Amino acid sequence: MNFPRQNDRNEPLRNAEETLRLIAALPAPDGLAGRVQAKLRTAPRASSLWRPFALAPNGWMYNPVLRGAAAAAIVCLVAGGGWRIYSHIQQEPIGPAAIAPARIGTGGGFSSANAISKPDTLNGPVLTHAVVPKAQSPAPADEAVPPVAHANKGAKASAHKKKTAGPAQ
Amino acid sequence: MSATLTLPWMEIAKSAVHDEARQHAKEQALADLVAEYATTLYRVAFSVLRNAADAEDAVQEAFLRVLRHRDRLEEVRDHRVWLVRIVWNIVLDRKRRAKTRPETDDVAELARVLPATGLSAEERAAAAQHHARVLTMVDTLPAKEREVLVLSAFEELSSVEIAGVLGITESSVRSRLFRARNLMADLLERPRSLR
Repeated sequence: MNFPRQNDRNEPLRNAEETLRLIAALPAPDGLAGRVQAKLRTAPRASSLWRPFALAPNGWMYNPVLRGAAAAAIVCLVAGGGWRIYSHIQQEPIGPAAIAPARIGTGGGFSSANAISKPDTLNGPVLTHAVVPKAQSPAPADEAVPPVAHANKGAKASAHKKKTAGPAQ
Repeated sequence: MSATLTLPWMEIAKSAVHDEARQHAKEQALADLVAEYATTLYRVAFSVLRNAADAEDAVQEAFLRVLRHRDRLEEVRDHRVWLVRIVWNIVLDRKRRAKTRPETDDVAELARVLPATGLSAEERAAAAQHHARVLTMVDTLPAKEREVLVLSAFEELSSVEIAGVLGITESSVRSRLFRARNLMADLLERPRSLR
């Protein structure tokens, strides 16, 4: 292919292109075709069945079939290892599902946490003087005393009697 | 009146002979391809690899690939473009894998390989230095532009054939070549200290 000429500014460019042309026109080494023919004659002619498994000239890494097989082997190893780990894990038996109590008043907010609401005690009216209950019927003076006080009084009196009388024996 | 008698074993023998003849024809076709295109392929390989031994290896590998696909040789329309494409892919692959060689190796190889008729030893060394510097600049070009520029140096390849080798359209070849030449001109105009 001929290079299109632009202008004289490209004199160095022409020199550079001349270098490329020089390389492109290099004579081939003597006997190149013969060596290639000899290489082709000695090339292994394996059957097409085994050809994919033949080693590439640069090593097995450059054979696409073997590279694919190696990749598949790695995938199998990883998958097998993962399955082995997975199959050794004992999973806990799943119990019956717990039925949660139905929520009352689910408003979506916080619960009361079992707190009991107590209303504030109102201050009642304060008595300024003692209230004496009106007697409905006249009663003896002793009965006006509360029965507990009367009983105590009786106990004290009996104890006083015992003290003054001394031992009976 | 003579009747022809065809027995099964005769059929087998005939087909075997036919297969052998076909095989021989394929091998002969391959040998013809080697004789006709080995030099071109070597040049293409050397323009990328810049090493005689590597280029010859690439040519041999290309024909080994052809040998593997010799059954499909009849389907190929343009053998030259097809073969150049094969060796082009091989050398690009090798170039990517190979470690970068020092520039001094290129200079020594070019001084050894390039024709230097009528030049003194000093002139030959200076020419080799110049060629190596140009090739270093070519290496700095973007890959697409570099590939078109390198292939366009081959007189025997038209722009249509270059497009066939690279798998692009002819207009792409021309636009890439235009860009490559502009880039090369810029590189050559720069002072050497800036390179």
